[in-house]
Amino acid sequence: MNKELIKQRIKKVVAEVLKIDESEVSDDANFIFDLGADSMQSMLLIAAFEEEFDIEMDVGKAQEIQTIGGSVDFISEYL
Amino acid sequence: MNKRDELHRKNLHTVFHPESIAIIGANKVKGTVPGDIFLNILQAGFQGIIYPVSPREKAISGVKAYKYAIDIPDEVDLGVIVFPSSVCRLALEQCGQKGIKSVIIISAGFREVGENGMARENELLEIAEKYGISFIGPNCLGVINTDPAVRLNASFARKFPADGNIAFLSQSGALCTAVLDYAQAKNIGFSKFVSFGNKADVSEIDLLYYLMDDPVTKVILLYLEEITDGLGLMKAAREVIMKSGKPVLVMKSGRTEEGASAAASHTGSLAGKDEICDAAFKQAGIIRCDNIEQMFNIAIAFVYQPMPESNRVAIITNAGGPGVLTTDAAIREGLQLARFNEETTLSLKRSLPTTANINNPVDVIGDARADRYVAAISAVFKDDNVDGVFVILTPQSMTDIDSIAKEIVHVASQFDKPIYTSFMGQADVASGITILEHNNIPHYILPESMCKPFNTVFKIKQFMLDQQHEVQVSGHPPNNAVKKYIDRALAKGKTYLNEYDASHILEAYRLPVAEKILVTSAKDAGKMAAGIGFPVVMKVISDDIIHKFDVGGVVLNISTEAEAEEAFRNISESVGERVPGAIIKGIQVSRQITHGMEVIIGVKKDPSFGPVIMFGFGGIYVEIFRDVSFRVAPVDRQNALKMIRETKSSELLTGVRGARQRDIDAIADSIVKLSALAVDFPQIRELDINPLIVLEKGEGCFVADARIILEDNC
Repeated sequence: MNKELIKQRIKKVVAEVLKIDESEVSDDANFIFDLGADSMQSMLLIAAFEEEFDIEMDVGKAQEIQTIGGSVDFISEYL
Repeated sequence: MNKRDELHRKNLHTVFHPESIAIIGANKVKGTVPGDIFLNILQAGFQGIIYPVSPREKAISGVKAYKYAIDIPDEVDLGVIVFPSSVCRLALEQCGQKGIKSVIIISAGFREVGENGMARENELLEIAEKYGISFIGPNCLGVINTDPAVRLNASFARKFPADGNIAFLSQSGALCTAVLDYAQAKNIGFSKFVSFGNKADVSEIDLLYYLMDDPVTKVILLYLEEITDGLGLMKAAREVIMKSGKPVLVMKSGRTEEGASAAASHTGSLAGKDEICDAAFKQAGIIRCDNIEQMFNIAIAFVYQPMPESNRVAIITNAGGPGVLTTDAAIREGLQLARFNEETTLSLKRSLPTTANINNPVDVIGDARADRYVAAISAVFKDDNVDGVFVILTPQSMTDIDSIAKEIVHVASQFDKPIYTSFMGQADVASGITILEHNNIPHYILPESMCKPFNTVFKIKQFMLDQQHEVQVSGHPPNNAVKKYIDRALAKGKTYLNEYDASHILEAYRLPVAEKILVTSAKDAGKMAAGIGFPVVMKVISDDIIHKFDVGGVVLNISTEAEAEEAFRNISESVGERVPGAIIKGIQVSRQITHGMEVIIGVKKDPSFGPVIMFGFGGIYVEIFRDVSFRVAPVDRQNALKMIRETKSSELLTGVRGARQRDIDAIADSIVKLSALAVDFPQIRELDINPLIVLEKGEGCFVADARIILEDNC
C-alpha cells in the first residue's frame, strides 16, 4: 500500500475518532497540540488504526507517535 | 549575577503581576488540571484579561478561546501551559513566538519520569534560552498571588488563600494543597504561594531574590526535596535576611543518612548530607524546621509580632500547672524568666487577689476575668526587664474567653513588645482563638509551643547583628607547588595521598606538621630518630595501607636509637606478613608529642555546598559521641572559633578541673589554613588531619597524621 493512501485512511480515522472535519486534519497535524486529542482519544486512535489496517501495533511505541506523518511511517512498517 | 538570573528577576515580576494570561491547553472539563486551572483563574477574580488556548474549543466558560497562542491578537504577559508533556515544547515555542516571556509549566512527565522526561525538560530549557523566557516548573501545582490588585490563582489548588505576609515556596505540589488547608483553618494568609516542581529553569534561589524586594512578603517559607546549588542557596538566603530582614524558614526532607559508610575518611563518614545541610543553613541564617506545624508556629511569630530585644519572658496564666510546664519549656529552650522590677511587683500586688502569684510565672488564678488579665499584661509589658509576654488561658466556667482575647488584642497594640498566647482546649476556646488569629496575635495550642518561636525570632535578631561581615576567601593564588603535586598525582591515577605526601601539601599551607623523615633502613631509623629527639613514633608509609595500626605499621614511644632500629625491623616484618603485596615507600620517623590533646580537623567536598570543614575531638569523642561541628568553606577565624566552641567537649580545651588551657587559637589558625587549601583545590574530595595534637596555650598544635583523597573531575 503506498504512503499517500495510508495517509488518507489515517486522516479519515483521526477525523472520526476526534469528531472533527477531515479538512481540519493537515498533513503535519499533531494529535494533541493541533487537534486537541486527550489521553483517552489518543488510546482510541491506536485501537482505530489497528482496526482500520488490520494490524497489531506495539502500544508503547505507538503512543509516542503524535503526528499524521509519524503515523504513516509507523503503520507502514506493519503493512 | 549572570544574564539568566537577571532575566528571571525581570520575568518573575510578570509571573506574579500579569495583566493578561494565556492558559495554553485549557479545556472545559471540570476535575481535570487544564479545566480546573482555567476555572481557578476565572473564579479567583483575576484582575486582568484571560485567553484560553485550546485546539478544539471555541469558548470556555463564555470566554473566547484561541486555537494557538500565536492567534491571540493582543499582547500576553503570562503563559500557563497545561498540555501533556509530549507537546509542551510546541506550546513553549509558540509562547516564544508570541513574545510571552513569563511562563508556568504545570504539566508533569519530565525529569521525574526518567531519561525521556529529562530529554523533554532539556528541550524546554533550550527554547527558553532561545526566546529569553523564564519558566516555573514543570511538574508543579502553579502560582498564587493574593494581592487584591492581581488576585492570581494559576494553580489547581482547591483554595484561594487569604492575603497575608507569608510567602510559601514548595518543591512539592501536593504539600502545597495540604498547607493551604492547614493555613485556612488557622486564619493564616499568604502574599505569594509558589509550587516550583522540577525547578528546571526558575529555582528557589531566583524566587528568594524576587521575594527579597517584594513589599508584601515579610517571611519566606520554603519546602525543599533536593538542593542543587547549596552555595547559591546560602548566598541568596543570607542576602535576603541581611538586606531585607526577612527570615527564611526551610523544611528540607531527606534527613536520613546515605552513603556515609562508603566514605574513606573520618570526616567523610561523619559529614553526612544532613549534617552538612544543617551546618550550611545555620551559617546562612536559614531556620530549619522539622514539620509544617513548627514552620508556621515560627512564621506567625515573625509576621505578627515585633522582635524581642532580648530573651527575658513573662508568663501570665490562670492555671498553675500550664504555667510551670511553660516555664520548664522556656528554660529548656534557653529563654530566661524575667525578674520583675519593684514597680511591676507593686502593680501586680495591687491589681490581683492575695491568692495570686505575683512572681513570674504570674498566676492570675482560675476565676480571673478580662480585667485581671489586662492588669497583669499591662504591668509586665511596662517592665524594662520583660522582653516578651506569654499568655495562657484555661477555660473555667467564669472565664470570659472572648473578652479576654479582645483585651489582649487591645493591650498588645499599645506596646512594641511581642505577645504570644495559648488558649488551652479546643471547643470552648475556639471563638477566642479566632479573635486572636484575626488580629495577628500568635496563638499556640500547647503553651510550651510558644517558647521555640520566641527563641528563634530572638536568635535571628542576634544573627543579623553578628553577621555584619562576610567571610572572604584569602585572595592569594593557589599554591603552585601544591598544584603541581596534585596534578602529578592525578596524572598518574593516584587519588590516595598517604601521610607522607599529605604532609608536603599541608606544610605548603603552613599547617604545623610535626618534623618527620622517611627512612629505608634500620640503621638510618636509629640515626634519624636521635636527630629528631626522643620520643619518636615510627609508621609505615605505603599507598596500599590506609589503616596502619591494624597491620602493625605503627610503633609509639620509641626512646633510644636501638629501639628505633628494632621498631623498623618489627614494622617491616609485620607489614610484610599481613599485607604481602604492599609497596612500602619507607618508614617515617617523626617526633612524638606526648602531652597534647587530640582533635580532628578535616574536609569533605559536598556536591552541592562544596568543601565543608569539620572539627571534632579525637578518640571516643568522635567515634562514639560524634561530637563534631561543620562549616561550609571558606571559614574565617571568627567562625573557626565558633566551630570549636560548638562542640560539647570544647570545655576540655579551656581547662577543666585544674588542667591548663589548650592552644585554641592554634586550632582556629589550622582550621582557617585548611579551609584555604580546600577552597584552592577542589580536587580534594576528603582530607583528614587525625590527630591534630594541641599543646597548652601559646605552644601551638601539630599535625600528627593526615591523609588526602583526591578526585579528578574538577
